Amino acid sequence: MAAFPVNSALDTNGFVSQSVGMESNWAAEHLQVIRTLMERSALYRRALAPIMIFVGVLGVAGGVLGWVLNLNSAQAFLGYWAGVGLLALAGSFLLVRRQALKESEPFWSPPTRRVAQALLAPLFVGSVAGLLALACPGWDFLAPWGLPAFWMVLYGCALTAAGFFMHRGIKLLGWLFILCGCALMATRCCANGPLSLADGHRVMGGVFGGLHLAYGIYLYFTEQRRNEP
Amino acid sequence: MNPEPFLQLDRVIHEKGRLALMSMLAASPELSFTEMRDALSMTDGNLTTHIRTLQEAGYISVTKSFQNNRPHTTCSLTSAGKKAFSNYINLLEAIIRQNKPK
Repeated sequence: MAAFPVNSALDTNGFVSQSVGMESNWAAEHLQVIRTLMERSALYRRALAPIMIFVGVLGVAGGVLGWVLNLNSAQAFLGYWAGVGLLALAGSFLLVRRQALKESEPFWSPPTRRVAQALLAPLFVGSVAGLLALACPGWDFLAPWGLPAFWMVLYGCALTAAGFFMHRGIKLLGWLFILCGCALMATRCCANGPLSLADGHRVMGGVFGGLHLAYGIYLYFTEQRRNEP
Repeated sequence: MNPEPFLQLDRVIHEKGRLALMSMLAASPELSFTEMRDALSMTDGNLTTHIRTLQEAGYISVTKSFQNNRPHTTCSLTSAGKKAFSNYINLLEAIIRQNKPK
């Protein structure tokens, strides 16, 4: 009370000083709200459930088909999964574009650009490794049966990087891919001989297809359906 | 205790709806009307009023175009808007600094 005697508490400066004191917490809360809004504005907001379900179904179908068709030569395995990967990329692109058109928004928005940039480096390395293995049969830097684990780890790294600009557990999904890739590498410690490429199809279908599908189904039931009419 | 920072807070930005708009635009080169409306759960009318106020203050620029035969409105911060927003943040920080126990 001594700091704000009755007479001076009513004058403008005293009143404002008191307000300033009271508003200190408010100012901190205000800054926090501003930070949250700025972060939210930079986030990628397209619905992920349809994309994840599409990639998941494609991955599982790809794994089953590759196993049934017995594509067990290294070149057939790599070419086949490069095709599945391209199909998944093209389908995802079309789904994102469809959502953007539906909402009359530009496809190449700043959040889309940030996510694409985050995904680019690991996916580029994975693609180059796949292409080298496909184009040079004598390439012994990575055996064809080692590529699925390598791809899983890189894809996981891509998702964790993109997770900084996305909602809803993308980083966790990324870590699951990284752990699956590491587990696959670890199984080679106690395995005899190279992994059969028929097993490679099952691993690719189970991990790439299965994880995407599970995450897509989870999102389907939990994601806010803002893209529906 | 210095009341100055509190008195200097920009009244145009200080309103919560407009502050939210300015915050979102500060983090993105441009945002569409629908993106802002959905993110802030505002009505079309409310958002339009806030955009007009900020535009009249010279803090944001509004671009109207057509995409797939539908009107498409985007907003972005002007350099005056960036400066005003930066000042606003600095003042909030000054208020907090002043009241920190020494």
